[in-house]
Amino acid sequence: MNEIITTKKMKELDECIERNKMKKGPLMPTLQDAQRIFGCVPKEVQEHIGKKLNESYAKIKGVVSFYTMFSTKPKGKHIVGVCTGTACYVKGAQKLVDKVCEVLKIPYGETTKDGLFTIAPTRCVGNCGEAPVVMIDEDQYGRVTIDQIEEILNKYK
Amino acid sequence: MFLEEIKKRTLDKIGDKFSKDLRKHEKEVRVVLRNCDLIDPDCIEEYIARDGYVALNKALNYSKQEVIDRIKESGLRGRGGGGFPTGVKWQFAYENDAKQKYIICNADEGDPGAFMDRSILEKDPHVVIEGMAIAAYAIGASHGYIYVRAEYPLAAKRIQNAINQARENGLLGKNIFDCDFHFDIDIRLGAGAFVCGEETALISSIEGERGMSRTKPPFPAAKGLWQEPTIINNVETLANVPLIIKNGPSWFKGYGTEKSPGTKVFALAGKVKHSGLIEVPMGITLGEIINEIGGGMAQKRRHFKAVLTGGPSGGCLTEKHLDASVDFDTLVELGSMMGSGGMIVLDDHDCMVDIAKFYLDFIVDESCGKCTPCREGTKQMYHLLEKITDGKGRLADICQLEKLAKLVKKASLCGLGQTAPNPVLSTLENFKDEYIKHVENKTCPAGRCKALISEFVITDACIGCGICAKKCPTHCITGLKKEIHIINQEECIKCGTCYEVCPKDAIMIKGGVQ
Amino acid sequence: MNKVKVKINEQFVEIDHHLTILEAAKELNIDIPTFCHDERLNPTGSCRMCVVEVEGARNLMTACSTQVRDGMVVKTHSTPVIEARKGILELMWANHPNECLTCEKAGNCKLQDYSYQYDIDPDSLYPRLDSRKYFDDTNRFYTLDSRKCILCGKCVQICAELQVNGAIGFEDRGIDTRISIKQNEEPTDGVIDPYTCVSCGNCVNNCPVGALMPKSKEKFRNWEVKKVKTTCPYCGVGCQFELVVKDNKVVRVDPVKGGTNDGLLCVKGTFGYKFINHPDRLTHPLIRKNGEFVKVSWDEALDLIVEKIKETKDKYGANALAGLSSAKCSNEENYLMQKLVRAGFGTNNVDHCARLCHASTVAGLATTLGSGAMTNSISEIDGTDTFLVIGSNTTETHPVIGSMIKQRVKKGAHLIVCDPRQIELAKMADVHLQIKPGTNVAIANGLMHVIYQEGLYDIDYIDKNTTCFKDLIEVIKDYTPARVAKICGVSENDIIKAARLYAKVNKAAIYYAMGITQHSHGTNHVKSMANLALMTGNVGKESTGINPLRGQNNVQGACDLGALPNVYPGYQAVTDVNIQKKFEEAWGVKLSNEVGHTLPIMMNDASNQDIRLMYIMGENPMVSDPDTNHIKKALTNLDFLVVQDIFLTKTAELADVILPAVTYAEKDGTFTNTERRVQRIRKAVEPQSDTRPDWEILTDVMKRLGLKADYKTVEDVFNEITSLTPIYAGFDYQRLNENGMQWPCPSNDHPGTKFLYSDGFTKLGKAIFTPIHFMGPKENPDHDYPLILTTGRTLYHFHTKTMTDRVEALKQTLPNNFIQISLNTAKQYQINHNEFVLVSSRRGTSKAKVQITDTINDGVVFMPFHFADGANMLTNPALDEICNIPELKVCAVKIEKC
Ligand SMILES: Nc1nc2c(c(=O)[nH]1)N[C@H]1C(S)=C(S)[C@@H](COP(=O)(O)OP(=O)(O)OC[C@H]3O[C@@H](n4cnc5c(=O)[nH]c(N)nc54)[C@H](O)[C@@H]3O)O[C@H]1N2
Ligand SMILES: Nc1nc2c(c(=O)[nH]1)N[C@H]1C(S)=C(S)[C@@H](COP(=O)(O)OP(=O)(O)OC[C@H]3O[C@@H](n4cnc5c(=O)[nH]c(N)nc54)[C@H](O)[C@@H]3O)O[C@H]1N2
Ligand SMILES: Cc1cc2nc3c(=O)[nH]c(=O)nc-3n(C[C@H](O)[C@H](O)[C@H](O)COP(=O)(O)O)c2cc1C
Ligand code: SF4
Ligand code: SF4
Ligand code: SF4
Ligand code: SF4
Ligand code: SF4
Ligand code: FES
Ligand code: FES
Ligand SMILES: [Mo]
Repeated sequence: MNEIITTKKMKELDECIERNKMKKGPLMPTLQDAQRIFGCVPKEVQEHIGKKLNESYAKIKGVVSFYTMFSTKPKGKHIVGVCTGTACYVKGAQKLVDKVCEVLKIPYGETTKDGLFTIAPTRCVGNCGEAPVVMIDEDQYGRVTIDQIEEILNKYK
Repeated sequence: MFLEEIKKRTLDKIGDKFSKDLRKHEKEVRVVLRNCDLIDPDCIEEYIARDGYVALNKALNYSKQEVIDRIKESGLRGRGGGGFPTGVKWQFAYENDAKQKYIICNADEGDPGAFMDRSILEKDPHVVIEGMAIAAYAIGASHGYIYVRAEYPLAAKRIQNAINQARENGLLGKNIFDCDFHFDIDIRLGAGAFVCGEETALISSIEGERGMSRTKPPFPAAKGLWQEPTIINNVETLANVPLIIKNGPSWFKGYGTEKSPGTKVFALAGKVKHSGLIEVPMGITLGEIINEIGGGMAQKRRHFKAVLTGGPSGGCLTEKHLDASVDFDTLVELGSMMGSGGMIVLDDHDCMVDIAKFYLDFIVDESCGKCTPCREGTKQMYHLLEKITDGKGRLADICQLEKLAKLVKKASLCGLGQTAPNPVLSTLENFKDEYIKHVENKTCPAGRCKALISEFVITDACIGCGICAKKCPTHCITGLKKEIHIINQEECIKCGTCYEVCPKDAIMIKGGVQ
Repeated sequence: MNKVKVKINEQFVEIDHHLTILEAAKELNIDIPTFCHDERLNPTGSCRMCVVEVEGARNLMTACSTQVRDGMVVKTHSTPVIEARKGILELMWANHPNECLTCEKAGNCKLQDYSYQYDIDPDSLYPRLDSRKYFDDTNRFYTLDSRKCILCGKCVQICAELQVNGAIGFEDRGIDTRISIKQNEEPTDGVIDPYTCVSCGNCVNNCPVGALMPKSKEKFRNWEVKKVKTTCPYCGVGCQFELVVKDNKVVRVDPVKGGTNDGLLCVKGTFGYKFINHPDRLTHPLIRKNGEFVKVSWDEALDLIVEKIKETKDKYGANALAGLSSAKCSNEENYLMQKLVRAGFGTNNVDHCARLCHASTVAGLATTLGSGAMTNSISEIDGTDTFLVIGSNTTETHPVIGSMIKQRVKKGAHLIVCDPRQIELAKMADVHLQIKPGTNVAIANGLMHVIYQEGLYDIDYIDKNTTCFKDLIEVIKDYTPARVAKICGVSENDIIKAARLYAKVNKAAIYYAMGITQHSHGTNHVKSMANLALMTGNVGKESTGINPLRGQNNVQGACDLGALPNVYPGYQAVTDVNIQKKFEEAWGVKLSNEVGHTLPIMMNDASNQDIRLMYIMGENPMVSDPDTNHIKKALTNLDFLVVQDIFLTKTAELADVILPAVTYAEKDGTFTNTERRVQRIRKAVEPQSDTRPDWEILTDVMKRLGLKADYKTVEDVFNEITSLTPIYAGFDYQRLNENGMQWPCPSNDHPGTKFLYSDGFTKLGKAIFTPIHFMGPKENPDHDYPLILTTGRTLYHFHTKTMTDRVEALKQTLPNNFIQISLNTAKQYQINHNEFVLVSSRRGTSKAKVQITDTINDGVVFMPFHFADGANMLTNPALDEICNIPELKVCAVKIEKC
């Protein structure tokens, strides 16, 4: 057991599995629970779920790698999403993306070394009227300009 | 009847809160959105006070076929994009005999630039539940799923709360309205895959599989979720259902056109003055939406260039289409489509090749990867577009692009691949000259494609206001107040900010490959 | 059936409405290209290669997945269609290495073929994407080169839907999608994880391109080979495949679709062929001279044998001679062997490994139902509602049948597994009755008790078809779930649940094997199975029945052809004077009507020097018979031992003369599989060195003994067989050619028999209930030998490993003798995983590597018997009195550290 997979979290997962098993198609809800509990779905957890749900590892790995919400490595403490949906794109979201990468010194999609931020690919957060939109965790910032980026990020440091 | 009681009690309590007119423009209507921002979405009583669940009660007094007939008669067409007649679809599922059937509400709303469904779910969740219950009754389903996009946690929360309240009030569960009708709903969350909005991929996802689409036929109405007859309807489609049942088909046909009756909610965004959610009767013209409701261009000096409808599956409509009627069939005729209702307005600073590339980038990311044309073809299309926007394109590439687009459209397995080339094909159709300029003259007229900008230069039109100098991220623009400014080309990173902000459009692009 | 009329390329065809455009086109001999299509799988429509134009459709439609409609008008090769296919091929090619020049798949590759056929330009405008770069060579048998993968998805589907392991899957999505496989990194030591790759090769065999490829050192091009259809030489499933041969060497195996195995194989079938051309093969007749084996001519060897036969017979009488026939050899060869012993030696002392295997089945079922064979067919698995798999590790020992059971269970059938170990099937079972070894009768009685108490038996069936039901009730009434639970070490609830699952469905089938038969009360175990099936009316119908899975490739045939001491071919008793007369007339000699000795008794006889000469064809008792020390004594006590084999086995090492036979790949003939299907084997390579087919050798010996034996081909032998064997009477090579046929087949217009007893139990009049009380094994754990040892097999080895050890990858997969043991028991003896220990019984000692596993109960251990000086050093030669099967499944042992 390591930091990510603790016995306590495993127990919580097992409880979720038992609950999910009562429904048809328990795999997705279980993976979502696992992602929530561990912050990611590492190989060991996938194998564990496989055993419990009688599914092959290859299948679970296939599902986990298909959906962008699941990750096998832990994500940063804060998820930074610069919306690159169409409305935001035409309002210059790409420049914001570049700026965020520049400020955090990591490529798109990656996590900072200190584990504080992950830049998550984000498509339309449903707030197109306020485009371009930046989302940090659950907070939304509308009509963001390049020069505001540092300031916004600083709030989470 | 207990609904009446609740209504009375609630109305007494809240006073005239419901009489507000929330429309921002007279051409808007409030049918589907009638409760949005008016009622407290976490309070079933307020929904009931607006005659909620009356339609369900009414439906349960009809035979199943009568319910379906009313929906058929209303001419309601799917708001999820395809525009397929809802009643006809229900009829299929109704006629397919099976012990278990399902109704699924498609709340995946993946079109990047659309948020109609989100609003309905967050602001009026019960209307969706009521619509599903009616649909379930009509086709003979006892179980339903709402598949909500993972990016909409609030919507999921509201819906869950609404489901709980409905259960508490006996509006979900066993023997609803004391009839022999049992129905309950589960929420399933997406996990970040646009393709899961496609109905068969959505089914795969609920079943716990990779969200890969399946061949049709068999259609879900015959063999859907767990191989049982399944109806999948969009949020907005379902939100229309209670109103049709309550007010009757002819009331519904009072809105819209003959072939596209009713209203449509659009997420108007982009370079218009007033962006946001609007509901309009079908048949309204594009011009009315953009220029009247949207108030025209956000920046006065910019020109309307095109409007994107249908998201990554749609296309662009231009100046010449402004008088066109906004309905399912006209939009398709014009080479775009209604889609789910995203409507993004572009101005002359938007490059159509770049937009096509943007959509393809999205599609390449979101293709499920199952079928060859979409998986390999969209990536190759992207490469061709990239070649063009990078200034490495040749005329032959445009031909190849067009050929490939047609292949992907014709031969792909599911709707995603079949419509993915639309943005390319429609920009090619309407803006071929722009493509040609990219490959022949190596310029990007809109100033978007960095590789095709050798320099930004400030022309005589400059009034020395200094806005560009202030906004330039590298501070490479200098000049005295009221004098013509100068860009230091060494330090310029060609971000185009100055070009974007200059109030006098004094900044000019010099083409050529970098 | 609903027929519809379809127009394809201006031609009309009328076909069933549920068929696809692809199938309709096939009717008209129109070839539509496909990558992802496989008639055994649900169409996915993923590759899009099969697109066609359908009048009225907006887009092109995939022929493989689109059902025909009445009045449909289809164009399969119009310009838009050709353009689309070209486009698809170009896209595939742009993400595929240009390596046909050196690719092993060239000449057998759909991408290459279609690219040629559709004239695609290899240097199209598209840049090479190179999006898949993964190369997996961790598997010992095959490689995955994802660069060549076109993502047709067939491998994924086959592994999930047909093989039912789900070891291979897609990863990532969109353009990054790739195939990845969960591989077994370590030797398995007999524990199969149902979700890791079992190297069956079923994915490999169906990959349309060179992405999944067998590992092979042979260099060959696909246009240089010939292919010969034949039958797998390993287990009783009798899979059909083609040997791919270059320069008289087998270089690959391709499965055959349709028929017995419908294209599925197991690891041994797909990859276990390298023993054929192995340098260890016996090459010349050998005679022991002064303790050394010396190469001699066939004449010298055979003359010596004949001389010894005559001498021994003269000196000690015919009963001092004995022959062991072989379930590895063909029907014709078994026929000749028993004929040699009966007509040449003059005794009925002929037997073979069925004695160690299904002797109890033959004894137990013949007396209760009428015949000792599987009542039903493999294809009927697809109709069964509940399976009771008892004492059969099906996925390892009859892997293709195992997969078919898994397929059916996936589709919703129930599965009850009764086995002391948590075998692969147990992991997907509704109930796993993990009984103590040797308690089968108790569990069966317990199930019947519940069925009786709950009124779940079929009284109409019982009245109409059986006798002695009352006697049964008398016995089973004492076997309450509580009592049985105690005897067997399982839970009461599981017994009740299992009984209901078995009795409440319409079609419940029993599949059993060595866990039932190899006991000192094996015959009774078998009879208990018959009781259970009869009580619920589950015999004589499709997809139900009682199915003893026959083990060796031709053990059914060896029994059918009379390689048994009590019956002539076709189970005709040697004691029946009319039968005796028939054979005397046919063979032109006097025959003995005295029942011969069974294999274990022969060994005792040899040990006592009552038997002096033994002729062993294709058996290796030094490894396969219980109590090796005893066997060694027996064989060394013989005056003269002939061993006819393909390798120098442990048994051959003790021989006076060794005769080099050929393998199945080098000869013609027939094998009879577990479902009574007689299938052809066909010569694919010429015999090498100085080897000869068994049938030729036997013919030669017979001739030298002065018997009439003028067979020019094996077919001549077969025709003699059919003339004397009523159950085979209707067969001939012509009729067997396509898919083989199932006996009984009394005449040449009889279609063969899919399942037995459809018109009642005609042989016995009525089926007979034989109530059985539970009696434990002969040896039970005690203070000195506190553990119960049970023995058996593993997927990767076959019996005494003579063949599988010559396939390097199989050998490496399972290199050591091992012992499976529970964690608690291991702790008790302070032994660790992978450590070597000494295991001893009252009879001997063996060394084994420890495999700690949660698949076995405390106090029980399991060892495979594949290894020389392995399990059979320990096993108990105690016999079942009725049929003489030894108690190979239970003995008492102890464990010590080395
Ligand atoms: N790979 C491979 N396949 C083979 C063979 C081979 O050597 N290798 N040999 C072939 C031959 S000739 C034969 S006969 C078959 C045999 O095929 P099986 O009978 O399936 O093989 P075994 O491993 O001998 O035993 C089967 C199971 O019986 C269980 N068992 C042990 N004792 C008892 C008991 O008292 N009661 C019950 N219910 N179960 C018990 C064991 O745990 C084991 O899982 O396989 C054939 N197929
Ligand atoms: N402890 C324990 N012992 C067991 C068992 C058990 O479960 N536990 N199972 C028993 C069972 S069910 C069986 S069937 C026996 C099997 O026991 P055996 O039949 O003795 O085992 P095999 O290794 O199959 O022996 C077959 C021999 O035939 C040779 N051979 C192969 N092809 C040919 C050919 O074409 N011609 C000739 N002439 N020879 C050929 C092979 O090289 C090999 O030496 O083992 C039994 N022994
Ligand atoms: C790639 C793709 C994405 C889709 N996304 C959505 C979506 O987000 N929401 C939706 O309602 N329908 C979506 N659809 C359409 C659905 O497949 C389906 O047609 C629709 O939900 C049916 O409902 P309706 O008849 O009420 O429109 C999508 C289709 C495709 C091909
Ligand atoms: S068209 Fe695209 S999304 Fe649809 S099945 Fe094919 S690869 Fe998947
Ligand atoms: S897989 Fe086929 S197309 Fe690819 S290199 Fe090999 S032979 Fe050529
Ligand atoms: S490895 Fe072969 S069978 Fe599997 S998807 Fe790739 S091409 Fe198809
Ligand atoms: S070899 Fe067999 S088990 Fe392994 S991945 Fe292929 S089909 Fe699956
Ligand atoms: S299942 Fe048996 S017959 Fe089939 S390939 Fe495997 S060993 Fe051969
Ligand atoms: S496109 Fe960014 S919020 Fe919709
Ligand atoms: S063969 Fe029909 S789609 Fe692949
Ligand atoms: Mo056997």
